[in-house]
Amino acid sequence: MLERILRLAIILGILAALYIAYWKVRSSSRSDADEPPPWRDSRVLVLAAQVAALGLIWSAGDYLWANFRARTSDIGLELDFGFLDQPSGISIADNPLNSNAAIREALIQGVKNTFLIIIVGIPLAVILGTLIGIARLSTNWLLSKIATVYVEFFRNIPVLLVIVLTWTIFLNAFPPVRISWLPFGETFIFNNLRFGFPSIVGGNNFGAFQVIVLLGLLAAVAVWIWRSRLFDRTGTPHHRVLYGLGTLVAISVVGFVALGGPFDITTPEIIDRVYVGGITMIMPYAAVMIGLVLYTASHVAEIVRGSILSVDKGQVEAGNALALNSFQRYRFVILPQAFRVAFPPLINQFLNYTKNSSLAFAVGFAEITGVIQNLFGQSRPAPQLLLILMVVYLVFSLVLSAIGNLINRRLQIVGR
Amino acid sequence: MIRRGNALKRTAGVVMALGLVATACSSSSDGEAESTTGDSVVTEETTADTAAADDAAAAADDVEVTQSAGGRLAAVQAAGVLECGGNDTLPGFGIIDAEGSFSGFDIDFCKVIAAAVLGDSEAVNVTPLVAAQRFPTLQSGEIDVLIRNTTWTASRDGAEQANFLQTTFFDGQGFMVRADSGIASIADASNTTICVLTGTTTLLNMNAVLGDRGIPFTALEFESNDELQPAFVAEQCEVWTSDASQLAAFAANLDIETSILPDIISKEPLGPVVADGDTEWAQAVNWAVMATIQAEEFGITSENIGSFADSEDSGIRRFLGLPIDDGDGNEVIAEVGLGLPTDFASNIISQVGNYGEIFERNLAPLSLSRGPNALWTDGGLMYVPPFR
Repeated sequence: MLERILRLAIILGILAALYIAYWKVRSSSRSDADEPPPWRDSRVLVLAAQVAALGLIWSAGDYLWANFRARTSDIGLELDFGFLDQPSGISIADNPLNSNAAIREALIQGVKNTFLIIIVGIPLAVILGTLIGIARLSTNWLLSKIATVYVEFFRNIPVLLVIVLTWTIFLNAFPPVRISWLPFGETFIFNNLRFGFPSIVGGNNFGAFQVIVLLGLLAAVAVWIWRSRLFDRTGTPHHRVLYGLGTLVAISVVGFVALGGPFDITTPEIIDRVYVGGITMIMPYAAVMIGLVLYTASHVAEIVRGSILSVDKGQVEAGNALALNSFQRYRFVILPQAFRVAFPPLINQFLNYTKNSSLAFAVGFAEITGVIQNLFGQSRPAPQLLLILMVVYLVFSLVLSAIGNLINRRLQIVGR
Repeated sequence: MIRRGNALKRTAGVVMALGLVATACSSSSDGEAESTTGDSVVTEETTADTAAADDAAAAADDVEVTQSAGGRLAAVQAAGVLECGGNDTLPGFGIIDAEGSFSGFDIDFCKVIAAAVLGDSEAVNVTPLVAAQRFPTLQSGEIDVLIRNTTWTASRDGAEQANFLQTTFFDGQGFMVRADSGIASIADASNTTICVLTGTTTLLNMNAVLGDRGIPFTALEFESNDELQPAFVAEQCEVWTSDASQLAAFAANLDIETSILPDIISKEPLGPVVADGDTEWAQAVNWAVMATIQAEEFGITSENIGSFADSEDSGIRRFLGLPIDDGDGNEVIAEVGLGLPTDFASNIISQVGNYGEIFERNLAPLSLSRGPNALWTDGGLMYVPPFR
């Protein structure tokens, strides 16, 4: 390492000497000599510092890489990705993945499971966190104290503990499979392995019905726009949610009747340990997701509370002066302004949520970290797998923050 | 115009400078990498005759360590204590009690080796290891011998630079269910949920065997038994798969009634492991372990060993290191040349006991039967070469 730094210093010294010589030659050929010498020319100094810094970073990185390569070739570790096509030998709960499928297939299923935790959990965390943040500011003493206790509890214990806690509660609160809890006339299934919910299954004309629903959706959007414009023009209350939903439901019902019942509702059922009908969710997934939502919501609540407090008091008083009720005051005056302040730190929480999802493997949910941990145990090369894992989380995070920044920019422009 | 020209030139200069720096650095790094590799090649050559290390360059460093110390056997005898890698969480095999002392089947074999090498079965220092640590710790030379319910496989013998010795326990992967589950064999277990530890060979075996037999199942994979055990107790999974002996060990500590299915789907030979490259040490450990089995075959126990002092059987006399009449009235003590004291077998038996005693003491309380671990004379697999 020392030798390397010395070599770098010599090279940089030679470069500096060359440049000074060039400046001497040039200044002697020109009579006016309006330029300062390079050691006092701030532009040259800045550039020189950057070259030196880059050289140092490059040199350090190169040293580490060479060291790594020397060790890996010593112990005969291959650094190619050919192993991705070999059979993984592993299986993932409630996933049709064959254990003889290639490792890349298993990795894709792992990424899918991570995505499932993120896509459902983040909206839930935002909703729960906002409610708790507002509750903390409530004038109702009990409500605000409950919210405070919630926030202080979840914010101050490690997230892994929260996940194991939710999992343990679910494990012991729900009955085992053979005596599953079947509420609402056996339309739901709850046991400590899976949760089953009713769902729809397509029958005759199901494709046509989907087209009709799509048309209904378009009509609803058109109605929404019409009501909004009417409101802007005349000031008539728009009730656009009501009108839009009404349009959609009306068209769907007409379509449903006209096509003679294009779908049926199926309820889940356990026949000889096999789940038939409905949709099922594996319990570890629910435990991890809810654990992460509870934890993240405590942080979101604090952000929401802080940003509500940052809204000028005069705004609230203005709302009161207009005789807005409490809901209207929040919906139309405070939250839109608070949201603008809250959004950048919220993006941070989304990223934390994504990274914390890697703790899911502790309770047996095979998201990408779990799959890769499993592959480590099967003598698969760790450097490549770790690289893949890092790239996966990097992509998730970068996409999330890109979306967040896009929304954020829109919020700021619209606002000011 | 002139200014812009200067800026262009400056940029070009910077790029060239960076290029120069980069080239200088990468060329030097190649040189260093080569020299590092060169070093280990030299190491390998100097030890090649003893190490039999043909392809494993990585083993070279470890070999160097053990050989330069004048052999592990001499090092252990000089240190006066045996460093043994074991388990601290598996009842019956290796567990730590409230006072911090270790006990179990594997731990007793640590004591066997200490008794043979040092003459004192208590001169053992047990290092508890988790599964992932065990081979790196062995390779680093931190422990002299690894006895931690470790399965002998080709890739471990090869890729992990481990040297597996006499199998002390022939195990196999089994399945455990609740006694009232109505599952009598794995054929009945279709569509059940099976709990298993992630990253184990157990998981691969289960997927392969149940897949081949067309038995559908859901695998719930856990990182540690701390989560797996409550999941099984709460009936989240109907079946728990692991090595049959481990299942028996856990079953003994559960409050629920369980039964182990008759299907054993894999071979799991467990035994002591030493690092590659020190044949003398490997042989010493191996013969110490085998002495317990030979003692059981001779019928020598820690209780009755005194009565063999005047045995007429020359095989037993030789085994125990007792003097033998050479026919001319001279008493000689047989020396087998393992580097162990001549009376190592007597030390083992009097201080720890024979194989049967070790098994009875640790595994019988878990209601494990001898099965394949019976002596060959009883139809089992415990067969050792002759002590002469």
